[in-house]
Amino acid sequence: MSARAARSTASARNAPAETTPPEPHAILERRYRRLLACYPRFFRCDSEDEILAVLMACARPGQRWPGPADCADLLGSAVRMRLGPGRSSPPRAVTRAVRLMRVGAATEIAGLVIALATASSVQSALVRQHVTFLNGHWHNLLLLIELAVPIPFGLWLWLAWANGRGHRWARSAFAGVFGMYTLIVLGKLAAGAASYAPADLLVVGVQWLIGLAVVLLLFSRSAGTFYRHQSMPPAARGG
Amino acid sequence: MQEATFLILTALASGSQHGYGIIADVREISGGDVHLRPGTLYTALERLRADGLIAVDREAVVDSRLRRYYRLTPAGSERLTAEATRLRANAATALMRLSPARGAAT
Repeated sequence: MSARAARSTASARNAPAETTPPEPHAILERRYRRLLACYPRFFRCDSEDEILAVLMACARPGQRWPGPADCADLLGSAVRMRLGPGRSSPPRAVTRAVRLMRVGAATEIAGLVIALATASSVQSALVRQHVTFLNGHWHNLLLLIELAVPIPFGLWLWLAWANGRGHRWARSAFAGVFGMYTLIVLGKLAAGAASYAPADLLVVGVQWLIGLAVVLLLFSRSAGTFYRHQSMPPAARGG
Repeated sequence: MQEATFLILTALASGSQHGYGIIADVREISGGDVHLRPGTLYTALERLRADGLIAVDREAVVDSRLRRYYRLTPAGSERLTAEATRLRANAATALMRLSPARGAAT
């Protein structure tokens, strides 16, 4: 019998009669189920009924509320399962890729510092090259750079976290973002950024190389096995 | 290896057991010192399954509830043997170093 079938049978067994109040064990089971809703879906599909059976076996006769220690244990375990390392340890290629993505996030801060430090020279070079470029344009551009930095910074870290946990969509998302970034870099080069903002372009080049290394690592053979493995339910993984 | 993990693997060393059986066995093995709670147990079981150290031996339905029995895999036996050997060596070293100190103190 599957976990879901066993649950429906158990629910039917514990369903309260229309005229009688629910039994204490049915109330307790319902409250435990609410706590178990905090666990990741893959775990609930696979093991919710099993852990519920153990919780009910450990309960005292007539108990209606989960004890504080059990509540803390269940909630803590759910948080650990959601936020902790993935269901199995990632291979070295993925670990390295995750580290590189964190370095990539740090380069966003470095890029902002360099942009602010070299702002005046970039501004004068732009004014020299483009006679229509006004100070107002420059201040707007600088403000945009400052405001936009948290987005790529967060994106690096978010994708690092998701890839470390073996989410396949995160690998595809990183490849997509890298493709777009490559187009942006080519656009900057075509616009002659090398002549007016060489320091900024250096940071961009470093970020592009980091991105390339991450893509190569994420699409290596060992990483592919890891992503396929992580997307399977535990029972299909040989459990 | 954490103590809880070591005790869970030890509980499974003599044969397959279900979740409640593991909790009871761990308490007995530890002389009542370690009381595993279901949340902690199933987080550990999930990790040990993913790492290939334990596997589901069989499933049964008891009182309309699913009951899974877990067993050690060969990799799990190997890992437990290595950990037990390491702990025994550490304990032997500790006792050996305590012996002359005790002798000198008396």
